[in-house]
Parts: sequence; C-alpha cells; structure tokens
Amino acid sequence: MAHNIKILPGATVCEDCTLEGDITIGGGTVIHPRVSIIAEGGPIIIAEYCIIEEYSTIIHKKSDKQENPPKPLFIGAHNVFEVACKLESIYGHVGESNVFECRSFVGEEVKVGSGCVIGAACTLTAPQILADNTVIWGSEHHVREALEKQPSQLLQLDFLSKVMPNYHRLRKPNVHKRQPSRQSQEPSPKP
Amino acid sequence: MELQDTYYNKSEYVETASGNKVSRQTVLCGSQNIVLHGKVIVQSDAIIRGDLANVKTGRFCIISKGSVIRPPFKKFSKGVAFFPLQMGDHVFVGENTVVNAAVVGSYVYIGKNVVIGRRCVLKDCCMIEDNSVLPAETIVPSFARYSGSPAHLITTLPEAMPDLMTEFTKSYYQHFLPTTA
Repeated sequence: MAHNIKILPGATVCEDCTLEGDITIGGGTVIHPRVSIIAEGGPIIIAEYCIIEEYSTIIHKKSDKQENPPKPLFIGAHNVFEVACKLESIYGHVGESNVFECRSFVGEEVKVGSGCVIGAACTLTAPQILADNTVIWGSEHHVREALEKQPSQLLQLDFLSKVMPNYHRLRKPNVHKRQPSRQSQEPSPKP
Repeated sequence: MELQDTYYNKSEYVETASGNKVSRQTVLCGSQNIVLHGKVIVQSDAIIRGDLANVKTGRFCIISKGSVIRPPFKKFSKGVAFFPLQMGDHVFVGENTVVNAAVVGSYVYIGKNVVIGRRCVLKDCCMIEDNSVLPAETIVPSFARYSGSPAHLITTLPEAMPDLMTEFTKSYYQHFLPTTA
C-alpha cells in the first residue's frame, strides 16, 4: 500500500501509532500514542484541532459502492476521539465538534452530523444519519438533543501540544508549503 | 480456592527491586511521574499516562492487558489542568478497561471492558462489574457494587471485602510466574 502521510505544521503526532495509506492531518490536531488510522478504501483527511486518544481506530473501509477514484473520508475540525473508540466508514463526512467517548463504535454507513456525542461503550451499526447535536448514551442507546454546542477543547489541545513533545517522540510535519490562496493574501516583503 | 498459575515469558517482563513486574509491551509515558509502590503487575499493552500528571499506585495492584490508566483533566476559567491519579493497595483492573478516575481507593475490583469516567472517586472496598460505564464525576461509596451503563448500585459487598481483595491480589501475584523453560 502506498503510504502518503501529510502532517501539517502545528500538528502533534506521536511516533508510536499506525498510519496506513493516504492520510492528511491538519494543524493543531493531537494524536496520542497507539492510535491506528487506516485508509484502505480511500484517503482520510483530518481537519484542525482534533484530539485522537490512545487505542482509537479510524478506518476508511473498502467497498464496492465506492466510486473511482475513491472519495476521501473527511473528519471535521474540533472532534474528540476518546480512548479506544472505533470509527469505520466507507464514505463521507464527519461533521465538527463531535465527541466519540471511550470504547464507542460507529460502524459503516453511519453519517455523523456536527456537535454529536456518542456515549461511552455505545455501538452504532445500522445505516443512519445522526442529526446535528444528537446525544446517544447508556446501554439502551437513549437519544436526546443537546441544548448547547459541545464546548471547544482548545485549552486542552494547547496543554497537550505543549506537554507531549517533552515526553514523546513525534512525527515531524512534512508539509511546509503554504496554500497558494494564503500566499496571495500576505503581501510578499519587498527588499 | 487456590488460583491457577499464570505463566509469562521471562524475557517479556522486567522485575524491579521492589517486586514490580512490568511488561516490556506497555506504554509508560513519562515514567518519572509514575510511582508503583511494589509488587505491582502491569501486563502487556497497558498504557499508563504519566506524562499528563502523576500516577501513584499502592502495593499489590494488577493492571491487566490493554487497560489505560489516564489522569483526568478539568477545565477551569483559566486553562486546563490534569489531576494526579491515586490508586490504593490491592486494586485489580480488568482487561481493556479505561480508568479516568481521580482517586481509586484500596481493595477495589474493576472488571474488564469498564469505562471509569473523568474525575470519579472510588472509595475503599468497592466493585465495578464487567462492561460497566461509570459516568464522569461519580462517587462510588465503600462496599458498593456497581453495574450497568450508566452504572448504578446493585448490591452491597460483604464486610470481608478487604480480606478477600488482599488474598486475591496476593495470590495473583504469587501465581504470576515466569515460564521455567
């Protein structure tokens, strides 16, 4: 499998994790040790400011329904994947500010909106669409709607990105090129 | 009842002077912040996150395979802080369990596939059954037996719980032997 891992500047990615396939990790994202991200069915794009904790698994599954060339699995900004959660997906788009709590499982063909919370040890396997701000919890998988948005984890990210380099070997960001659109915004210094 | 001998590969485990047996397959982040008080067993693929905050365990603790011991964080108006995690003596943590507690007392039994939420306090002599989920900031009283998701009290435990756990963890340690090959 071709390994094509792009880590944008500002991301904190531990060396002790499994990254396979075409993966892009946005700036400000923190990936703890022992995480597996496997892009076997197509590329995975992880946006900015996500937290992915130990033993979490994100798999972009192979599927016959997938068009050619395969669509990427896009994971929005500010998502939190807590310890040992598992996300398997064949296509699509995971929204922003979701929380996948410890040991939760989100199967194929589940479309996750924004601001959702998948409670600890909950498993979602049937094809379904989670509307924005859905909260699922408990062994009977109760569903309710969150009244407010999930609070941002920026402060925790700040702390982690400061502390983690002291204790872990990190993968270095390997994309330094700025986006062309950004370059045009900043006037080039004239000599 | 006598426990059966559990054998481990001698080259896989490190035994320290105080009798801790730690697998080489574990991830001990920030080992300078982890204190294992002696005769503690840490099995393979367990993760102890000492880099986030201090982790202290008592004597005769058993951390099973694939479990994650992780200090909890709390958000304040100014910044976040990870709290140190304290564990008492004679604590058993089952396989694939996630412990985010602030304090775990002595003589505590935690089953397998359990999730202990952030900043929970487990008092001395309590038991969390397999596959339970303890919501964040739960306080489990002494001699309580919790089960379910979200976990709730089901029964109380016998008064002999400290003796039972002492015997259980001690005999587990004594029967955790290197292969004599």
